[in-house]
Amino acid sequence: MAGANIVRRNLRYIIWFYLLNLLFAWWGAAGFGAQAHRILDRSLYADGLLHGMDIAVLGEMFARPEFGSPAGSSAPATRLAVLFFLISLLFMPGVLVGYASDHRISREEFSRICTHNLWRFLRLLCFFVIIAGIVTGILFGIQGGVVKAADQTSNERLPDILQLVGLAIIFMVATAIRAWFDLAQTDTVLDDQPAVRKSVAAGFRIARQNWVRLLGNYVAIALAAAAILVGGILLWHAIVPPSSVFGAFLISQLTLFLLLAMRFWQRATAVAFYMRRLAEPAPEVQPAPATAAQPASISR
Amino acid sequence: MGLKRGLLICVLVSLGVISCLAQSSTRASSAPNTSIPNTTSAINSPTPLSQRVVHYEIDARYDPKTHALDAYETLTYHNFTGQPLDSFPFHLYLNAFQPTATWVREGKRQATRGQTFDKWDPKNYGADEIKSFEVVGQGDLTSQLQFVHPDDDNQEDRTVVQVRLPQPIPPDGEVQFKIRFHDQFPEVLMRTGWDRDFVLGGQWFPKVGVWWHGAWNCHQFHAMTEFFADFGVYDVKLTVPQFEVVAASGIKVSDVKNADGTETVAYHGDDIHDFAWTASPHYRVYEDTFQSSMGPVKLIFLMQPAHSGQLQRHVRLLKGAMDRYDRWYGPYPYKTFTMVDPDPGSQAYGMEYPTFVTSGTSWILPPGEREVPEFTVEHEFGHQYWYGMVATNEFEDPWMDEGINSYNDVKVMDSIFGPNAFFDQWGATASMRQLMRTEYIPVADFDPLTRMGWQFANFNSYVAINFGKTASVLLTLEGIIGEDTLRQAFRTYFMRYRFTHPSKEDFLKTVEEVSGKDLRWYFNQAVYGTEVLDYEVQKVSCFPVNWYKDDQHEKKGETEYVSDAWIHRKENFIFPVEVEIKFDNGEKVRERWDGQDRWVRFEYQKRAKVVSAEIDPDHKIYLDRNNFNNSYTVEPNTAPGSKLVNYWVFVTQFFAQFLSWWLV
Repeated sequence: MAGANIVRRNLRYIIWFYLLNLLFAWWGAAGFGAQAHRILDRSLYADGLLHGMDIAVLGEMFARPEFGSPAGSSAPATRLAVLFFLISLLFMPGVLVGYASDHRISREEFSRICTHNLWRFLRLLCFFVIIAGIVTGILFGIQGGVVKAADQTSNERLPDILQLVGLAIIFMVATAIRAWFDLAQTDTVLDDQPAVRKSVAAGFRIARQNWVRLLGNYVAIALAAAAILVGGILLWHAIVPPSSVFGAFLISQLTLFLLLAMRFWQRATAVAFYMRRLAEPAPEVQPAPATAAQPASISR
Repeated sequence: MGLKRGLLICVLVSLGVISCLAQSSTRASSAPNTSIPNTTSAINSPTPLSQRVVHYEIDARYDPKTHALDAYETLTYHNFTGQPLDSFPFHLYLNAFQPTATWVREGKRQATRGQTFDKWDPKNYGADEIKSFEVVGQGDLTSQLQFVHPDDDNQEDRTVVQVRLPQPIPPDGEVQFKIRFHDQFPEVLMRTGWDRDFVLGGQWFPKVGVWWHGAWNCHQFHAMTEFFADFGVYDVKLTVPQFEVVAASGIKVSDVKNADGTETVAYHGDDIHDFAWTASPHYRVYEDTFQSSMGPVKLIFLMQPAHSGQLQRHVRLLKGAMDRYDRWYGPYPYKTFTMVDPDPGSQAYGMEYPTFVTSGTSWILPPGEREVPEFTVEHEFGHQYWYGMVATNEFEDPWMDEGINSYNDVKVMDSIFGPNAFFDQWGATASMRQLMRTEYIPVADFDPLTRMGWQFANFNSYVAINFGKTASVLLTLEGIIGEDTLRQAFRTYFMRYRFTHPSKEDFLKTVEEVSGKDLRWYFNQAVYGTEVLDYEVQKVSCFPVNWYKDDQHEKKGETEYVSDAWIHRKENFIFPVEVEIKFDNGEKVRERWDGQDRWVRFEYQKRAKVVSAEIDPDHKIYLDRNNFNNSYTVEPNTAPGSKLVNYWVFVTQFFAQFLSWWLV
């Protein structure tokens, strides 16, 4: 779990990403909030939402013409979720360099690395979407066919069980692909590799060589993330009184912060695997290229 | 002595003859000369409970491979109409499942019950084909059969067939029809048909119409309508493969294994007006008993294998509902009640037939989720009263079975589970009464309750008005006449009209009679009209009496204020309302407004400021379209909105993280 130390040393990245995540979500919820407050603030009927969660009251609020269309609430949230994703894409190269460094990189250097690698990351994203899309698409197709066939049997549980098994398999495969591309991104940044297909190949090589440990780490962290999410929601339900808005805010945000940290842990794990590979002696001596490009900031 | 003895014998013989004649005459006047059996083996009563108009004897053989059935039906009809009858209409409901039938056309137009019919699937095909039709004493009239289309003149619809008899049937006379027919069941549609190796046989045999209000009542099968039939006796034999587990309406009277690998199961039903059956090799059968005030009722549960763990949820709810109906309204008189848990995922769930219903559930359900099985079980059992015994016309008055039943769903479920009867899980709650109200709100101004079933604006309106609005109308009526009075009215209505076909006015007049109130002002708007009810607290204001003085310093408890509350009737439903005004010294004032004008202002001069005003503070009105504007607080309370915003932020953050987790 070398990644854990890296994350601990670089907690500031998680904090910054979390604050961005919160800010964007808050911004995205502004329209929803305005619509809800307009209906609820002066009505005693809204107590049904405060001292519990009365589904009828909630449904009636959504159905009121003055609340507006559901798209009016969900579209800004969706747009800002996409914006958070783009910001993550932009800043991730800097984070990876930070994770690989034994010192705190400067803001200027962070910015330079981010802009320097943006186009490469976009190309890597395209590679990822194509490969993950094809693989998971095929798997979802197989799963759908199997579940449909199971649906024709008289065993009612079978389709649901197969659905769950299928999702578990797809999750494992998608996690493996994610780990592969995390390594590819790491290679792109740390090796300053302009040809992303070489990074994709390198990532695949490293992932294949370490696939049991790497996938084990990734899956363990993902399961920890799921446990945090479920545990956080259960805790929210168990200890926060329904009318405590602040208490709900605190525990929900703590849950989301830890969830975000889990993804950064996976990232750090990929960097650790990558660095370990660099530390290993080369199998045979090759004449070194005269102009090997090395990023100045990385300490090996 | 001999003469005296002879005289005595003559007198005794004469008295005997007179007595016999008198008894015979009494029988003739009280019980008609009928061949319809007076059996009572299927009911907890020594005498028949209904005027038995029909006797169906059906011998049917079902082939699960082709999902088809061949049968021979003998129908004896007793003419109680008081006039000669020379024509008889018959329902052939399964013919509705054909592409040109009215049922499919209407379904395609408005996606009834989730059926969009984007593309015709041959598995949807159903048919009820009469092979031969003989009238005893009048010959074979197969060639005389004519399809009729009383509702929409769709010449392609074959759901009603009519026969004209050469010789009319006199009043109090009988006629016997011998019908050979072939059924093709569809993959389950409208709660009849097959799914995998399961079959539910509903509306599967030629069924005669009802002579009602001086005419035949035999509507085509519409996408949104249900059924209507006369009471009588059913004797049905079903022959199926021996591996099938069978259940049906009424009581099982025999089960014979045949040499060809089939078995013939015979059922008998008294005082019922329909007969349904089911077969599947997978059912697990459980039995229990309920002690009704008329005698023991055998409860039969046919469960799917994966649902056996939910048996107790079914049993608890069913017994609870039977207990409450028995105490509140009257006894369940039949000796059996069969509850079928149909094939999962089929459209066979949630259907009522006399003494036989389908429910439906899932193998994994949290305990606080009660739409299935609890609500469904309760609702379908309720139909034994509001449809089964009080046999209203479901074509023309669907609110009288579905709506009255929905109101009673609220009462029974609340009685068993408390206020959050529909859903109570993970901190979220839903009450039955608010569920009914929110169902009706979106279509509040579309259709009156009294619309014929197939004439509703659309399927949403049909469901929302018949179920949701009727329940809301009756819950609001509770607030007008009192819960106990309405319960007494329902008891009177049930006991008076059970085993008959009452009309809407029979029900409304019973409520007026029991309550001793003229309720036409309410019924005209809520039942016959489409008036919408929406009252609002338009504004609440407050200012110091001496506002104009420069040295005015407000002090709580000393400064005198003028407080006003404006109440506005936004829509056209006129309803007297109570309004509660609260002041900052804790004082509450209740006002009553008749709602006749469009608005009213209540003004107070007190050493206290108004804090809030609320219409209907006891929450007795369930027809109000907007509950949010029923109150107004001077100081806003942002907590409920902030709580929702927090949820929304959480969901948005999570979504953003999820997206980035996988893509970056």
